[in-house]
Amino acid sequence: MGKKFAKLNYYEMLDIKPDVPSFEVRNAYNAAVQMYQTDSLPSYSFFSPEERKEILACLEKAYLTLINEKKREDYDSELIERGILDESVRKPAAKKSVNIFNINRVQGRPDAAKNDSAGLRAKVLESNLISEIIAQEKISGADLQKIRNELAVPLENIALETKIRINYLHAIEGDDSQAFPAAIFLKGFIKSYLKSLCLEPAEEVCTKYLNHLASLAKKT
Amino acid sequence: MAYIWPIGGGKGGSGKSFLTCTLGRLLAGFGKKTLLIDLDLGAANLHTFLNVPYPTRNLSDFIRKKCSSLEDIILATPTPNLFLISGANDTLDIANLPYEKKMKTMRSIAKLQYDCIFLDLGAGTSFNTLDFFLISQNGIFIATPEPTSIENIYRLIRSIYFRRIRQYFTAAAFKELEDQAEQDFGSEAYNKPECIMQTVQRLYPETGAKLENDFNSYKFKFILNQLRKQDDAGLGPQMCRLIERHLGLKIEFVGNVAYDEHVHDAICRRISFLDRYPYTRAACDLRRLGGQITDSAGEHLMFDID
Repeated sequence: MGKKFAKLNYYEMLDIKPDVPSFEVRNAYNAAVQMYQTDSLPSYSFFSPEERKEILACLEKAYLTLINEKKREDYDSELIERGILDESVRKPAAKKSVNIFNINRVQGRPDAAKNDSAGLRAKVLESNLISEIIAQEKISGADLQKIRNELAVPLENIALETKIRINYLHAIEGDDSQAFPAAIFLKGFIKSYLKSLCLEPAEEVCTKYLNHLASLAKKT
Repeated sequence: MAYIWPIGGGKGGSGKSFLTCTLGRLLAGFGKKTLLIDLDLGAANLHTFLNVPYPTRNLSDFIRKKCSSLEDIILATPTPNLFLISGANDTLDIANLPYEKKMKTMRSIAKLQYDCIFLDLGAGTSFNTLDFFLISQNGIFIATPEPTSIENIYRLIRSIYFRRIRQYFTAAAFKELEDQAEQDFGSEAYNKPECIMQTVQRLYPETGAKLENDFNSYKFKFILNQLRKQDDAGLGPQMCRLIERHLGLKIEFVGNVAYDEHVHDAICRRISFLDRYPYTRAACDLRRLGGQITDSAGEHLMFDID
């Protein structure tokens, strides 16, 4: 037999299951209002004006409770206490949608990506090792790696800042011509790498490195 | 025993007689021996729908004992397998059928040897309509998507609910019950069968249980007729939901029937709409309804035959 409307619990009022997500609460509320509002066709003449007012007030209360996450949780625990609701309704929050393209990747760790260029520049000038290496005739990948280690910049940071794939950077430091990017990109990549380490003058260092590569190629 | 489908709707013009005759023709076409009984006492016109313009016998002959059994007043119609008990040209006072005669008629109907029997009931909520509607569990409600019709269909459903409760009590006991309900639920409770029902369950738990059993076993159906394009097709299910929630009465929504100008034409020509316009939207709806209704019939009668 039909229970009195005001005695139903909020989920029954809105005619939903207790574990539905909040957008369904909203949909159910809209549907219920459609059905019970003053000039609706399906409930025409079914209720007296007072009954209708009471029902609409109940619906609104139910909606405002269930649409609010905090209030809904409180209400759920109240129902569980009264034995109306099963404990199993409480489950971990629903999975949120996952971006297929992680466009927030760089913005997620902006500090890590940005190398402190002023600090680096100072270090480059101070370090004897670096000035020695730059003064060499040819600079090898291993030399570049030494400079980077001296400056204590992880390769990942360079990859993030320059947006060059890390395996290319590895290839550059390892003189691994098999894994190099296409020749047309190589020079640009090396310059980006040098700039992100604040090595001056980048053009000259780059040429020295390329000379080194050329001599390697001749040997083999 | 025959399946009996009473067809009722609160308001005139909602399509009770049209639906009766269409369903009758449909089932007769399936090879079922079908009988239509015009119980719109005092305003009978099912014979005109079926193109039997001058019925030779009618229900009055049975009620005034000119014919001793109901079989004697059954008429054949132009449609094979389809038979009619007409109410045409019956006596002018037939609308007020006395209780014993009504009971006798109902018993005779229940004993008839047919596959399907449709009762075309009158509009309104007179005792005749209510009692004949409660003859079986398969009652079909029909309404149109207009406030007037919806108002009347709710009224009819409440009246039937009320009538069923009333049938369990004597007049004096029922008066007492009403007073009690009024005390429990305020001054308008006598008009709300759901309130009276609660009082019954409290004061007479046994009768309450019986009634609840009755209401649970009903397989009432609801059809929304003359649905125009701009009308909301979700109206019918919403109404059934409302009735279930607030009256505790399960009514199955069978479907919508589209509005069709051609129905008028078919009635004027007194021919079968389904034959004349078989591929209209309304005809498709009606065929689907016919199938659904016959598939889900309960056969229990709501009273003892003897």
